[in-house]
Amino acid sequence: MANEESVDARTAEALLRRFEPVIRFTKGEWFYPMDCEPYVDACSLWVRRPGEDALCVVPAGELTLERLAQQPEDTTGAVHYLKIPNPKEDENQGRRARRRARRSHTNPDWPRETFRAGRGRLARVGYISRLADALFSLVLLARGRVPGGDVEGGRVLYGRFMEKEEHFRYHGHVVRQDGWIVLRYWLFYAFNDWRSNVFGANDHEADWEKIFVFLSESESGEVRPEWVAYAAHEETGDDLRRRWDDPELEKIGEHPVAYVCAGSHATRYSRGEYLTELAFPLPRAFAVVRRVVRRFWYVTLRQYADEDYREKPYEQFTIPFVDYGRGDGLSVGPGQDMEWDPPRLMNPLPSWVSRYRGLWGLYTQDPFKGEDAPAGPMYNRDKTISREWFDPVGWAGLDKVPTRTEQLGVITGRQAEIEERRDLLRSELLEKSSRLKALGMDAEATRDQSHLSKLHENQMRHIDELSKEVETLRAQLSDDEVLAESLKDHAERLKDGERPPARAHIVHPARPVSEAETHAGRVAQLWASISIAVVLVTLILIIAYERQQLLSALVFAIAMFAFIEAGFRRRLTRFIVSVNVALAIVGALVILEHYFWGVIILAVLAVGLYILWENLRELGR
Amino acid sequence: MYRQARLLGVLLILQVVAMVGIGVWLFASVDWDTIVNLSNKPGQIRLQTTDKSVAKDFKRAILFAVYFFAPVVLLLLAGLGFVLLRRRGWMLASVAQALIMLSCLFFYGASRPWFAYPMIAYCILMILLLNSRSVRAVVQRRQLTPAEAKPEIAHGE
Repeated sequence: MANEESVDARTAEALLRRFEPVIRFTKGEWFYPMDCEPYVDACSLWVRRPGEDALCVVPAGELTLERLAQQPEDTTGAVHYLKIPNPKEDENQGRRARRRARRSHTNPDWPRETFRAGRGRLARVGYISRLADALFSLVLLARGRVPGGDVEGGRVLYGRFMEKEEHFRYHGHVVRQDGWIVLRYWLFYAFNDWRSNVFGANDHEADWEKIFVFLSESESGEVRPEWVAYAAHEETGDDLRRRWDDPELEKIGEHPVAYVCAGSHATRYSRGEYLTELAFPLPRAFAVVRRVVRRFWYVTLRQYADEDYREKPYEQFTIPFVDYGRGDGLSVGPGQDMEWDPPRLMNPLPSWVSRYRGLWGLYTQDPFKGEDAPAGPMYNRDKTISREWFDPVGWAGLDKVPTRTEQLGVITGRQAEIEERRDLLRSELLEKSSRLKALGMDAEATRDQSHLSKLHENQMRHIDELSKEVETLRAQLSDDEVLAESLKDHAERLKDGERPPARAHIVHPARPVSEAETHAGRVAQLWASISIAVVLVTLILIIAYERQQLLSALVFAIAMFAFIEAGFRRRLTRFIVSVNVALAIVGALVILEHYFWGVIILAVLAVGLYILWENLRELGR
Repeated sequence: MYRQARLLGVLLILQVVAMVGIGVWLFASVDWDTIVNLSNKPGQIRLQTTDKSVAKDFKRAILFAVYFFAPVVLLLLAGLGFVLLRRRGWMLASVAQALIMLSCLFFYGASRPWFAYPMIAYCILMILLLNSRSVRAVVQRRQLTPAEAKPEIAHGE
C-alpha cells in the first residue's frame, strides 16, 4: 500500500456525503444497507480448525466491534466466522421483530410484497441452469430445510435492528492512489438471500458490496468526479467502470444512481434483468482436455464459434442465473424515499477492518465458496488482502488512465521522453549508416578477388547484421515519429475539450435482457417450467419400457427435447451445428473402427512422406 | 468472397450426383425381370419374387430411396442456392448433412453397406466446411447497423 494515502476524517466525510450514491432496490427486497455494528453485537464468533468441530469463541450478546478486532492469529487453516442467532433461540424477540417488520415503512406491504420473478425467468436460461435450479431445491430438501429456512434468522435479525433503530447506512473510506481520490462506499447487508428469495444461485449470511467513485483534483484543489465502479459478483477490470459522462450512468445532481439486484445485491448501472453467469472451477484434468480440444477445433480446424462461447475461459464452466435489478422498490439516497444516515467512517482505519480476517457470517465449507459468508471490506475469504482494498484503481482498470488534471502533463512528459529517444536513435542511426556505407565500399573493393574471398564473406556477414540493425532503428524512429504526432493531435483534442469515447474501454458490458426476451411466450414459459420434470420422466419411461432399443430411444428423446428447447430459445442454428458436430464425431469413430489399420497405415505413410518432403527440401537448399 | 460459396455449392451438387449415382446403381443391380410380373388387369403391376437375394437387393434400393430422397432434394436446393443465389442454403445443407449422417449411422446399423462409409466421410468433410469460419462469415454476413458503424465521440462533460 505504498502508493496509497489516507485522507483525514473531515475531508473524507464531506467528500463521501457530496457524492454518495442513490440506490434503487427491486420490489420484494428484504435487506437494505445497514451499519455493521448492531449485526456484530447480535452475532456469536466461532472458529473451525482443520479436522475439529466448530468452537464458539465469543457467545452472542458479548461480541462487539472492538472485541472482533482482538481475535488472535490462529493455526493454519482455521476459519473464524460470525453466526447470526437462530430465531428459535429467541422466539419472543423474533415474533416482535416480525411484527415490527410488518409495520416497517421500508417494507410497508410485508409479507405481501414478496419478490415476483416474472413469467419468463426459467424460459430465459438453458437446461443446465434449470437442472441446477432443480438440484438446489433438492439439496435444500436433503438438508431437511424448507427453501428459505436459512434466511429466516437473517430476516428476524434484520427486523430487530430496524425495530431498535431504523437506519440506512454505508461504510465510507477515502484514499488517494496514483493521483486519484477514491471514495469507497461499502454497503453491508445482513443477508444475501438470492437463492431463497429470488431463485438465484446462492445464499449466505452477511454481504459486503461496494461502489467506488474516482475523483481527480485540480491544481486549485477542486475535485471533480471522473469515474465510478459498481461491484457485481466477482467482476473486475475495465468492464466494471463507467465514465461520469457516460449516458448509461444515471445521476441525480452529483449522486450516481445504482440499481441493486434483489437478493444478490450485485450493483448495476441500468435498471433491468440480467443474465449473470456464475463460474465454477473445473478439475485441472478436464480443463487441460477442454483446452486441447477447443484449440484443435477452433485453431487447427478453423471452426466457427459464437463470440460469447469462444471467449469463455477453459478453467471453469459457467451457469447462467437471472439478476433482477428492476429499481421498482425502495430508493435510498439524497432526496429519495429514504435518506442515508450519517456514514460509518473508516478514516482513520478502524481495527475491526484491519485486524479481523474472518468471515462475517456462517462458514458452510461450501467447495464452491458461494454459500460461505464473505470476509470484511479488506480481505478475501482466504484472508489475503483484497485487490479492491490495496489497489482500488487497478481493480477498476484505471491504473492505465491518468486523471484529467494529469492528462496533458503525462502527454508532455511522454513527448519529451520520445523526443529524447528519437535524438538518441538518430545519432545511433547516423553512426551505423556511415559504418554500413563504409562496409559496403569495403565489400565492393574485395569482390571477385580470390585471395580476399574470406575477408569478403566476413564483410558481407557484417553488412547483413548491420543492415538489420539499421532497419530496426529506422522502424523504431518511424514508430516514434508516428506516436509523437498522435500524442500531439491527442493533446490538441484534449485542449479543445474533446474527450475519447466514454465507452471505448468496455469489452463485455453487462446489459439487461431485452423486453422481448423478458416476455417469453406462454408456451415457452410453460415448457421452461415443466421441461426438466418431463425430461426426467421420459428418461425413466424409456429405461423401464424400451430397454431393447435403449440407446436409440435415449438419443431420439434427447434430440427431440434439445430441438424443442432450441426452437423456444431461437437457437436452431446452434442446435443444428451441435447435432452435426456430434454426428461427425460418431461418424469419424465409425470410420476409424472400420478402417482402423487402413487409417494407421495412411497416417504412417503421411508422416513418412512429410519427413521425406522436408529432407528433400533441405537437400535442395 | 463468393468463390467459397460457389465452391460449396459445387461440392453439394457433387454430393447429390454421387448419391443419385449410388441410387441408380442400386436400382440397376435389382433383377427386375424376376421381380416384376405383369398382372392380367390393365394398368396394374405386381411385384413378386421368391428369390431372397433379389428381394434383399430390392429392399436395399427402396430403403435407400426412402432414406435419402429428402436429403438429396435439400442438398440440391442448397447447392443451387449457393451457386446461383450466392449465400442462401446454409441451413438446408446442414439439415441435409444431419439427415444423411443419421441415416448412415442409425438405420443401416450393423449391416452397414460399403457406400455408407464414403458417404459418412464426405458428410464429415462437408460439416466441417459448412461450420468453418470462412464459410460462416460468408453466409452470415450482415450490414453494420448505423449505431455500430458510427464511432462514438463525446465532447466535453
